[in-house]
Amino acid sequence: MLEEDTPIVTATGVVKRYGGRPALDGATFAVGPGITGLLGANGAGKTTLFGLLLGLHHPDEGALSVLGLDPRHSGAEVRALVGYSPEHHTLPPDIRAHDLVRHIAEVHGLPAREATARASDALWQVGLGEERFRPFGTMSTGQKQRVKLAQAIAHDPALVLLDEPTDGLDPVQRDDMLALIRRVSHEFGLDVVLSSHLLEEVERICDAAVILAEGRVVRAGPLRELVGADGGLLVDTDTDPAGFVAWLAARGLDVRTDGWRLQVAAAGAAVPAGPSDLYDLVRDGAVATGTGIRRLVERTVRLEDVFLEVAE
Amino acid sequence: MTGPDGARAYDAPAPVGLQSGRADAAGTARILDRGYRSYDGPRLGPTGAVRALAVQTMQRALGLHRSAGSKVLPLLSLGLAYIPAIVFVGISVFASQRDGRIRTFLPSYGEYYGFVSAAIIVFVAFVAPEVLCTDRRHGMLGLYLASPLTRTTYLLGKALGVLAVLALVTLGPVLLFLIANILNGTGPEGVGGVLTTLGRAVLAGLAVAVVQTALSLAIASVTTRRAVAAAAVILVIMSTSVFDGVLVRQAGASNLVFLTDLLQLPLELVRRIYGEQGHVRPWARTIDTSTIAAAYLAWTIAFGGFVVARYRRLQVTK
Repeated sequence: MLEEDTPIVTATGVVKRYGGRPALDGATFAVGPGITGLLGANGAGKTTLFGLLLGLHHPDEGALSVLGLDPRHSGAEVRALVGYSPEHHTLPPDIRAHDLVRHIAEVHGLPAREATARASDALWQVGLGEERFRPFGTMSTGQKQRVKLAQAIAHDPALVLLDEPTDGLDPVQRDDMLALIRRVSHEFGLDVVLSSHLLEEVERICDAAVILAEGRVVRAGPLRELVGADGGLLVDTDTDPAGFVAWLAARGLDVRTDGWRLQVAAAGAAVPAGPSDLYDLVRDGAVATGTGIRRLVERTVRLEDVFLEVAE
Repeated sequence: MTGPDGARAYDAPAPVGLQSGRADAAGTARILDRGYRSYDGPRLGPTGAVRALAVQTMQRALGLHRSAGSKVLPLLSLGLAYIPAIVFVGISVFASQRDGRIRTFLPSYGEYYGFVSAAIIVFVAFVAPEVLCTDRRHGMLGLYLASPLTRTTYLLGKALGVLAVLALVTLGPVLLFLIANILNGTGPEGVGGVLTTLGRAVLAGLAVAVVQTALSLAIASVTTRRAVAAAAVILVIMSTSVFDGVLVRQAGASNLVFLTDLLQLPLELVRRIYGEQGHVRPWARTIDTSTIAAAYLAWTIAFGGFVVARYRRLQVTK
C-alpha cells in the first residue's frame, strides 16, 4: 500500500532509444495523486512513456517506479493495478460495449460475475445506459471515448492512463469528457495521467503537468507552480521604452521587450524579489526616464507561455 | 441519503416508463445510484486472464455474442464435421438391427478423419485469423498487453482458445461416434477396450488440433487481414499435400517428402495412434512412427516458435 505522500509515478533519468534515436532522453519527474497532464507535441515521447509505465518495453537507462513497483520486473503486477485507454477508436466494431468492458475487467483478474456487474456500473457512470448493449462500431466518437474510459476504470485500478482522451471530440463532447475525467479522479478517487497536445484542456482539469519536448522533460510539477503569477510585472508604455529599459536593466532587473510592452522580473538575489519592490522600481524608472505608463499589472503565466518558452 | 453498500438514494417522482423502482404510498419512486464502488474482492491474476482470454477466443471463433452472420461459417464447419458421425451412427444402429454386413462400410476411428478433413481445413483456416488478426487490426492487442497478460501468456490464451475450438471438430465427432457405438453395443470390448479407444481418440483429436493450431497461428501472425490469412492457411496445407503427392509419385522423390505434407502428416499420426495403416499415401507406410512423430513435433515447435518470435517484435503501445 502506498503512503499518501508517495508519488504515484517517478522517473529518474529515463532514456529510451529506437534505432539510435532517443524517444525519451533523460526524463526525470514525479507524478503525485490527482490528475496529471502529459503534454507534448506529436512525437514528443508521450506514448513511449505510457509504454514504459506499463512495462511493455524497458528503459535503456534510468529507473521507473509505478505505484511503488518497477515495471521492468513487475510488469504484470503494475498492469493489474492500472487502467489504460488507448488513443485509437478502432476497437472491434462487432463487439458490444458491455461485452468489451466486461471482458477487459475479467482479463484484469475480476471473477466473471463481478466483471459483469462492474462493466454495467462503469458504463453507467460514464453516461452510457441502454447504449451499452450496442456494438462498438455503431457508436459515435464521443460514445467510443466513453466506452474506452469505462473499460479503463471497470476493474477499479489505482491509476488510469488515458492516451489523448478527447481526440476526435467536438467542443461540447470535449467539455463532457473533461468533466467526466475530473469526476473519475475527484469523485471516484482514481489517480489519472492523461496525455494531450491541447494546453487548454490540461490547464482546465489537471492538478499537475509534465511537459515533454523531443523526448526531454522540460517542465514538471503542480500546475499552481507552473502557471499563475510569476512575480514579474507587465508594463505597457506610451513611448519608446529604450531609456526606461536601460534604467531597469542597470538595476539588475530582467527586462524583455515586445514593442512598447515590457516584461519585468527580478533576475537574481541581489535585486528585490517581491512584486511590491518591483512596482517601486518601475515607478522610479518611469519618473527618472520620463516614460508614460499605460498599464502596469502583475504578470501571469499560462501553460501556453511555458510551452512557447520551451519552444524558443 | 446513503443506502446499503454506499449507494446513494434519491426520492423522486416516478417518471412514466420507469423500468425499475419501488413505488411508495406517496407515489414516488426510489432511484438507487450505486455510485462508483471500489473493489476489494479476489483478483485472479495472470491465470484468470489467460482463462478469460481463452474463453473469449472460443466465443469469438464460434460467433457467440456476435451477429447472426458471424455464426454461419462456424455452424457450417461444425455441421460438416458432425454430419458424417451422425450418419455413421445411424448406419451402425441400422446394421445392428437389420444386416450386420453393412457395418463393414463404416470407417474405423482412424479413418474417420479422412471424412472430416474438409471441415478441419475450413475450421483451421478461419478460426485463428478471426481471433489473431482481429486483435492486431482493431487494437485489442494493445489493450490486452496493458493487462496482466504478457505477450507469451496472451499467445497461450489464444492458442488454448483456438485449440479448444478445433478440438470440437477433431475430437468431438469421434467421441460422438465412439459413445454411440458403445450404447449400441458395437463399441470396443470391455472397460479396458473402451478406455484404450477413448484415450486414443483424445490423443488423436488433440494431435490434429495442436499442429493445425500452431500452423494457423503462425500464418495469422503475419498479416492483419483475415481473408488473406485464411486463404494462406488453405493454400499452405493443400500445396504441401499436392507437392508430396506429385514429387513422390511423379518425380520419384524420397518417401520422406511425406514429412512435409501438412495435411496428411497429422492424419497419418492419428492412424498410427490407432495402430492402423494409411492408404491415401501408401509410401508413408515405409516411414516409422518415431520419425513421423518427430516431424510432427518439429513442425509444431517451428510454427509455435515463429509466432512467439513474431509477437516479441511487435510494437503495440498504440
